[in-house]
Amino acid sequence: MLLRLALRNLLRNVRRTVALVLTVAIGTGSLFVFHGFNNGIMNQYRDNTVHARFGYGQIQTHGYGERVYERPWEHWIEHPQALRSELLALPGVRQVFPRVEFPALLTSGRITVSGKGQGVDGPEEYKFFNTLNFVAGSNLSSEPKGIVLGIGMARGLGTGVGDPVTVLVRGARGEMNRAVLKVTGIFHTGLKEFDDSVFRIPLKVASGLLETDRVESIALGLTTAEDFPTVDDFIRTHHPELEAIPFSVLDEVYYQHSVDWLDAQFGVIQLIIVAIVVLGIFNTVSTGILERKQEIGTLRANGESRYDIMRLLGLEGLTLGVLGAVLGIALVVGLNATVLSHGILMPPAPGITRQFLVMLELTPLMAATTAALGISAALGATLVAGMRVARMGIAEALRAW
Amino acid sequence: MGVLYKGEGIAFEYRLGTQAVQALNGVDIAIEQGGFYCLAGPSGSGKTTLLNLLGLIDDMQTGRLLFDGAELAELSEAEKNRIRRFRIGFVFQTFNLFPVLRADENVAYFLHRQGLPRSEIRQRVADTLHAVGLWEHRHKRPAEMSGGQRQRIAIARALAKKPEVILGDEPTASLDQETGKGIIETLASLAGDAGVTVIISSHDPMVLTRAKSVITLRDGRIV
Repeated sequence: MLLRLALRNLLRNVRRTVALVLTVAIGTGSLFVFHGFNNGIMNQYRDNTVHARFGYGQIQTHGYGERVYERPWEHWIEHPQALRSELLALPGVRQVFPRVEFPALLTSGRITVSGKGQGVDGPEEYKFFNTLNFVAGSNLSSEPKGIVLGIGMARGLGTGVGDPVTVLVRGARGEMNRAVLKVTGIFHTGLKEFDDSVFRIPLKVASGLLETDRVESIALGLTTAEDFPTVDDFIRTHHPELEAIPFSVLDEVYYQHSVDWLDAQFGVIQLIIVAIVVLGIFNTVSTGILERKQEIGTLRANGESRYDIMRLLGLEGLTLGVLGAVLGIALVVGLNATVLSHGILMPPAPGITRQFLVMLELTPLMAATTAALGISAALGATLVAGMRVARMGIAEALRAW
Repeated sequence: MGVLYKGEGIAFEYRLGTQAVQALNGVDIAIEQGGFYCLAGPSGSGKTTLLNLLGLIDDMQTGRLLFDGAELAELSEAEKNRIRRFRIGFVFQTFNLFPVLRADENVAYFLHRQGLPRSEIRQRVADTLHAVGLWEHRHKRPAEMSGGQRQRIAIARALAKKPEVILGDEPTASLDQETGKGIIETLASLAGDAGVTVIISSHDPMVLTRAKSVITLRDGRIV
């Protein structure tokens, strides 16, 4: 009967109830969209970071990344093939990618520029690093003496696919070694700094130029990011001279800071939206409850306790919240399946030179937590609005008496 | 017949803006079970305040008031709720029906809250609506009924609880003479036949003549 009275009370002023449900729906929907949008951005950025640059993490000698060495190759990983085999035996490790990085001079015709070279296992790497986005040509896999250039570097050198480029590198014995390589592809990650300075050559070629069999790092291709702790534990236990660094630390400036920044931003927006919803509901519900003051006095006069009154009002708030939250979530899911099914085209982000599409990445857990927030806001606002009348003396509430 | 209410030296003061108003000033009262009492007196004489105290909807300030031997000032909020839920029925001048519920639902509401079984509720609703002559109108909402019909639904609602006392604050004030007379007859028969104590406040001479006992108040005192 309490529920019946609560539901009938909601139908007493349909326009007001619709407005309240829409307030909750819009608030919940906005939070859901924003949460899904953030999730989409972060997942895309994470995939980009993992599959274009770092893998799920990298193994280096302990403390290598924190210092600058005159002869860095002396601090690189020894016997990488043996370590590679050990890592591939771990659960969740699907691929490993030995790498070296080195400064170099690149010459094409009369133009010489400096750049940062990466020696990679071409055929293997491109199975995993599949988001490098080639704007011309293709990856290194088909050319043992090939080189791929960032778009900025290719423009600087004035080269295109098929052109020869001379790479000049100082070897371990201090001599300048050179190799003439053929441009097989030009990539565009969108990260200007990366595209302007980085080139890639086969690891064997790089090892020859550097005169070392050691590798600077081993990037990890895992099944999921959750497999990283297994590798970390293995390295700590069996190779204390090495360390495993997750991609979020390797790319801390971009990835982790972006995650933290977006999380903080979401927190503030969430607070603002919830405050708007709570205030909107509070004002409207307060008016409705004050109009029913005499009825509430009648309930109290007939033995209903303050708790019973709050339960009645709570049921009304809960119903409003559930209706609004379900409507808001359903609207967003519908929008995402139709109007936004191809994503939202975003302008280039800071430090990135190309537009990108963001998909709303909505999850059931996200829907549940967002709906819970909307329902809680509706319930809380209704209870706060009702508290004043529930606390009122019965005679005062009855007024006519 | 035993004494249902016994009050001694009841005084009650409330604030109206910055002014203190002495609504009751040393009232002694004894109400017997099964009687039909009328509280009479001009506006502001303290009738409503006394009804509020008898109905446990205002707290005692000064003096003593016993309900069936229990000192009201010593009862907890839960005990007072229980008395209001099971032992007291109210009939208001403005009916105070729930506009969103049908006539039968209005009558049934507090029976559900008493925790009665559904069959018992159905029976009591039917009995009381027949008693006030509104069984045929049971599916109507208050807005679809006349003032007299609404007040009779309010009486049915109070009666269905099977209370020991029904309190009515000017229950005929919003009704025409003929309808008011019907309402008073219904209440009087309750007091006579069902042994329910009925206490109503009114200026209506017709009510005063019908009541078994008239308690006249003036300036917060019984005269």
